Amino acid sequence: MAEHGRRDHLRPVPASPENPEPDAGSLLKAVARGDEKAFGRLYDLVTPRVYGLIRRVLRDPAQAEEVAQEVLVEVWRTAARFDPERGSPTAWVFTIAHRRAVDRVRSEQAAADRTVRAGAASVDTPYDEVADEVAVRLERQQVRSCLDDLTELQRQAVTLAYYQGHTYPQVSRLLDVPLATVKTRMRDGLIRLRDCLVPA
Amino acid sequence: MSVEIHALVGPYALDALDDVERAAFERHLRECEPCRLEADDLRETAARLADGAWSVPPPGLRDNVLAAIGNTRQVSAPATRSARPVRRMWVAAAAAVVVAAGAAGAGAWTIQDQRVRTAQATAAQEARVRTILTAPDVVLREETLDSGGRVTVASSRLQDAGVIMLSADGAPAAGRVYQTWTIRAGTPSSAGALGEGQSAAVQVIDGLPEANQVGVTVEAAPGATTPSAPLDALVELT
Ligand SMILES: [Zn+2]
Repeated sequence: MAEHGRRDHLRPVPASPENPEPDAGSLLKAVARGDEKAFGRLYDLVTPRVYGLIRRVLRDPAQAEEVAQEVLVEVWRTAARFDPERGSPTAWVFTIAHRRAVDRVRSEQAAADRTVRAGAASVDTPYDEVADEVAVRLERQQVRSCLDDLTELQRQAVTLAYYQGHTYPQVSRLLDVPLATVKTRMRDGLIRLRDCLVPA
Repeated sequence: MSVEIHALVGPYALDALDDVERAAFERHLRECEPCRLEADDLRETAARLADGAWSVPPPGLRDNVLAAIGNTRQVSAPATRSARPVRRMWVAAAAAVVVAAGAAGAGAWTIQDQRVRTAQATAAQEARVRTILTAPDVVLREETLDSGGRVTVASSRLQDAGVIMLSADGAPAAGRVYQTWTIRAGTPSSAGALGEGQSAAVQVIDGLPEANQVGVTVEAAPGATTPSAPLDALVELT
């Protein structure tokens, strides 16, 4: 509970009255009822992160676009399955996106293992300068500073898995640390990240 | 195993498990409330990492997606949770043929990948199969199927896992499927059923060294909850 005070200064800037932040939960509910207009608004809300995440994992923009389209259509198709008891609507969307990206990158990985620069997990994208929306900048900055808050091993274990799609045995080999350590660092790294991040 | 499996919650939340371990952990989640709560919580956190990957979407994507949803039927909310199909765990169905090379024994086996991949047949699964087949303590046993063909079982205590490789001469009659069973202290439990029309599969079984026997039956599709007599093959593991 003591952490709450520490979190306060990281709270996102509230949406301005003329541009109210759409609520992903009610949008997703409307989408589940077949509301295409709501889907359009949900699209605008989540797609920069869906596409960015997939592109980050896959590296290849053309493939990323293809997988992003599959994911967004899947969100439309299965919106009724979203269970608010188990998490937030945006987490539900990004979980689908991440899973698809990882599945794709692993099937691509079959023959030639991709070369990886362990630890070189930059958070930049080529479109940085375009992302000038205050809220977005702030959220990204927050993830970045919270990642910096992790121990080196936690940060590498989390980012090699999440941003590059590696399995934990692959991470163990890349970092040359035992499997059990990798499992633990992934878990306690996420816990530390959770405690640092402001609720979405 | 049970102490071990809780520790997979971090890798699970980051999608850092291969398909086989992911399926095993999701089975565990249905039985383990603490892991389920923690998995939901950590997934929520992991998804926030998407905030750090913001990128401008390609210009044509929006129109393409909006056009695609016009032709996509939506599912309705789940009334009841449907049972997971038993054949979900089948790996690389009809994709891999195991070839004995040289003297029988550790490491003398290779997989000929025919590049007939099913959606589930990922590189991660193939790597797992290879790891088991090349384990220093792997033990291989083979029996012929009464219906024609053979079943080969590789088991490694070091990996605490095994591989069942089924290669029948042909698929069973319409409406019937091959199904495999692990039998421990006389009690069979289903290890998975092939799809209709399938005659070959490679399957990874966690904890296989605990079993005494592996059985193969032919059952009505999509598979049975208990094996029906007669067994098509029985492989003694102990
Ligand atoms: Zn558990």
